Amino acid sequence: MHPSLSRAVDWIRRRAENVVAGLLALMFVAFLVQIVFRYFFNFPVGWSSELSVITWLYMVLLGSALWLKEGEEIRFDLLTGAVGARARRVVAIVVGGATVVLFAMALPATIRYVMFMKVEHSSYLKIRLDLLYSVYVVFAVAVIVRYGWAVWAALRGEAPEETDVTEKGYGL
Amino acid sequence: MNLTSPFAWSLYGIVGLSLLGLPVGHAMIGGSILYLFLAGLDMGTAAEQLLNGMYSSFLLLAIPLFVLAAEFMNAGSIMDRLLRFCNAIVGRFRGGMAHVNVVQSIIFASMSGSALADAASSGKLMQSLMTRDGRYPPAYAAALTTVSSVIGPIIPPSIPLVLYALVSDTSVGYLFLGGVIPGLLLGAVQMALIAVTAKRRNFPVEDKVPLRELPRVTWQAFPALLMPVILLGCLYSGITTPTEAAAVAAAYALAVSALLYRSVTLRDVYHSLCTSARITVSIGMLIAGALVFNYVITVENIPRTLSALLSAYQMSPLVFLLAVNVLLLVLGCFLEGTTIILVILPVLLPTAKALGIDPVHFGVMTVTNIMLGLVTPPYGLLLFMMNKIANVPLRDIVREVMPFLYVMIGALALIMLVPDLVLLLPRLMGYKGS
Repeated sequence: MHPSLSRAVDWIRRRAENVVAGLLALMFVAFLVQIVFRYFFNFPVGWSSELSVITWLYMVLLGSALWLKEGEEIRFDLLTGAVGARARRVVAIVVGGATVVLFAMALPATIRYVMFMKVEHSSYLKIRLDLLYSVYVVFAVAVIVRYGWAVWAALRGEAPEETDVTEKGYGL
Repeated sequence: MNLTSPFAWSLYGIVGLSLLGLPVGHAMIGGSILYLFLAGLDMGTAAEQLLNGMYSSFLLLAIPLFVLAAEFMNAGSIMDRLLRFCNAIVGRFRGGMAHVNVVQSIIFASMSGSALADAASSGKLMQSLMTRDGRYPPAYAAALTTVSSVIGPIIPPSIPLVLYALVSDTSVGYLFLGGVIPGLLLGAVQMALIAVTAKRRNFPVEDKVPLRELPRVTWQAFPALLMPVILLGCLYSGITTPTEAAAVAAAYALAVSALLYRSVTLRDVYHSLCTSARITVSIGMLIAGALVFNYVITVENIPRTLSALLSAYQMSPLVFLLAVNVLLLVLGCFLEGTTIILVILPVLLPTAKALGIDPVHFGVMTVTNIMLGLVTPPYGLLLFMMNKIANVPLRDIVREVMPFLYVMIGALALIMLVPDLVLLLPRLMGYKGS
């Protein structure tokens, strides 16, 4: 990868990390507010649970699109971990190619669905659902770009890196 | 089943892409898109299912918050205090440090919902304590940390049980209660095996902590020991929902670490947020994929077809449970557990219900089984993790893990045969299930 491009990718990844960590902090605070209002002021608030669900949706989709490396996602790496660099390149081309085709195929219908949701609003915060749901389009485009890039890199002779087992976020 | 139907092609796609290393969540979304395309349905449905499903799965917010609670606890100097407390109690027996390892895991299990988090937090410290001056073989120490970590997600809180609650529509509260005795049972069989081995291999005894020291050591660990009480108290008194209980636990852990032990910096808090977020994103993505694929499974009516197929065999509930356990143990050797819970269990559940098997019993038993998959070679995430942390060859760890695995499978068989082990506590708290 070109040095300036690689710097840009690192920059995006670090900012995405800030955003995702911030979203989690926001979720945590929203919950505390909700509990405090209900039990100490006897005043249930609905917007806090809506806010925390939104943070959850955004954390997962933005985090997966822009932050996590492929090796940090839940995946089966017993086979790909056992083969050499050459085979890993071939696999990267096949898998990446299929992923790009599938996600690109669904993209027009996906955008249509998200735009159609402009007729609805969220219950408490009154956010238009097409705006709220547009994060999925960001995710889908990021998947296409990332795997497209992986195929391109593999075609040019770079093998995908091996993954570090202790870095994984399995949560089991 | 038609081998060239859209559903078959979507299955080939998902299995193929996952085997070749595409993240399983992405593979399920991709395979489902393929199904929608071949079946001539609107491909926007994938986005619709994912977005609406994620947007309405409020229960799952418990996952990041439980992880956060354990991370906050860990950021404080809690592990030291906990170990001193455990040592004061069980260190005096032969193989004392090995017993400490298990008791520590049991206590930490009541604060954390993840086995990998348990191994990551105590693994390094336990390894150096046990192998100092060549007291225990390194492979034995590493193996013990892997197997004792398995207890983590069985004693509440538990991330896998939250996932099971999602796919089975069962109460998280009752599932958590159901996990208590099986979790303790696993600890008990491990300690029994240690006791036998300690005599044979002549493991050392720790210096006795005088009884008059006990109150002080307990007092120092007290705020940490209080955490499970607070968590379960919130949950069962009905003060909070399970998800809110997770938030309370995280707030308590942060307060204890930051205010009482004064060992947490802002940087630590940010680091804890990042670790929890990483786990949340990777599990969340798998859930997102499963939501989309479950739509396909529902459209194709797979669980009911399977249920009808199996009922034609007139299987007794016990034979079914036995078959499920064997299937899951085999799958656990190769597959990662979250995938099994989110994809395989929903297919088996209707049959279990039709046979009159209690969903809480079924859930705790299958989750226990799937957790054993974390230590079964060739694909055992806990094994890989300790191999890295302790720097002991995988083969040696596996050799030392095997006896523990056998006694744990024995405990699993007991859980399968005696549903009351799981259902006793939920029933005491008002569970009305069969």
